[in-house]
Amino acid sequence: MSDEKAAALRVLLAPLPETLVIAEAVLAAWPDHAAYLLKSFGARSPEMLASTELAATAARKLMAGNEARFAEGYRWTCDQLRDEEIFFHREGRYRLSTFAEADAEVYSNHDYMSRYVDGLLLSQILWFNHAGTFEMFANRVLAAADAPFDYLEIGPGHGLMVYLAARSPLSRSLAAWDFSAVSLRETGAALATLGVDKPVSLVEVDILKAEAPDRQYDLIVISEVLEHLEQPEVALAFLRKALRPTGRIFINVPLNSPSPDHIYLVSTPEELTALVEAAGFKVERLEMFATQGRKIESALAQRISVSTGIVAVPASNDRF
Amino acid sequence: MDHQEIMAKIAETMVDVFDVDDLEVTEATSADDVEEWDSLSHIRFVITLERLFKIKFRNEEIAELKNVGDLARVIEAKLAA
Repeated sequence: MSDEKAAALRVLLAPLPETLVIAEAVLAAWPDHAAYLLKSFGARSPEMLASTELAATAARKLMAGNEARFAEGYRWTCDQLRDEEIFFHREGRYRLSTFAEADAEVYSNHDYMSRYVDGLLLSQILWFNHAGTFEMFANRVLAAADAPFDYLEIGPGHGLMVYLAARSPLSRSLAAWDFSAVSLRETGAALATLGVDKPVSLVEVDILKAEAPDRQYDLIVISEVLEHLEQPEVALAFLRKALRPTGRIFINVPLNSPSPDHIYLVSTPEELTALVEAAGFKVERLEMFATQGRKIESALAQRISVSTGIVAVPASNDRF
Repeated sequence: MDHQEIMAKIAETMVDVFDVDDLEVTEATSADDVEEWDSLSHIRFVITLERLFKIKFRNEEIAELKNVGDLARVIEAKLAA
């Protein structure tokens, strides 16, 4: 059965050589994952497959020939997530609820983090929901810019979105902030490997504790970060002040997405919209991408993870 | 509860969780035979069985149990324990 699925997956990915190399590495480490991958890739639009190949091309540079190690990290990460998923469906909540707990279990645990970070890089290519928000960012956030913009990203991770922003001829300045100096160093190394030639200002900032921003930006990105915070509303309020009156913010939060370091649960798109609007934004666009491309309604009802991308603008220039 | 009753309850749960109408369930039925039975729905499936039978699987069991006969036998053993 796995062999048939793997064969079908190879046919599907034949036009996407970089993606296929990553899929082959994962199949070698985890043959039983073929059915999952076939569903995940089979559900993608041509645009999503194209942006997946773009992400895969960048990811292969970052892997630098270590595909097997990354594939092992991916499998290990999925095992951790399965345990969290079991807890979530039993208890109806995320297992951890404070930053200190997540820090002790995950962020400060070097062995854990190194495998987890490897696994998450591959998830950008292999998971439908991650590929969906990446395609949205490329084609309906960045591509919608019609004037030079100053870019700020919070929690840039492997730097794939900064990399895309740097490729835009309209990006005038690029900044990436993270609360962790270690993460920022890794982002900096990744950007160098990816050949980003525009300067990127990498700054250690904890936006939950930061004072008012000293400047404003035209495009702010906070992707897969709010669910890691105890007080996402504080972060959004800060970013509202950092956004120009004519600016846009791209917010990506996975709903019902248990993970070892997810501490803030958002269950519905309405709940997420309310959180964003309470910080002084007006939601202009909301797109949802469920795991494996499932129907949104059934994924929400069954509490299966749904990545939700929001483009918002300042709600009113007077109030904030 | 005997083995056949457990099998019947598992079959009912499968129809409900996998949202399928016609499902012929035997001891040998596995995730390979049911398109809707994948790694995601598997977790919801076994958690539903936990609630139904008032038992608890170990996480490793959840990962390994992919066939109805094995599931029924593990449930039977847990009910007898």
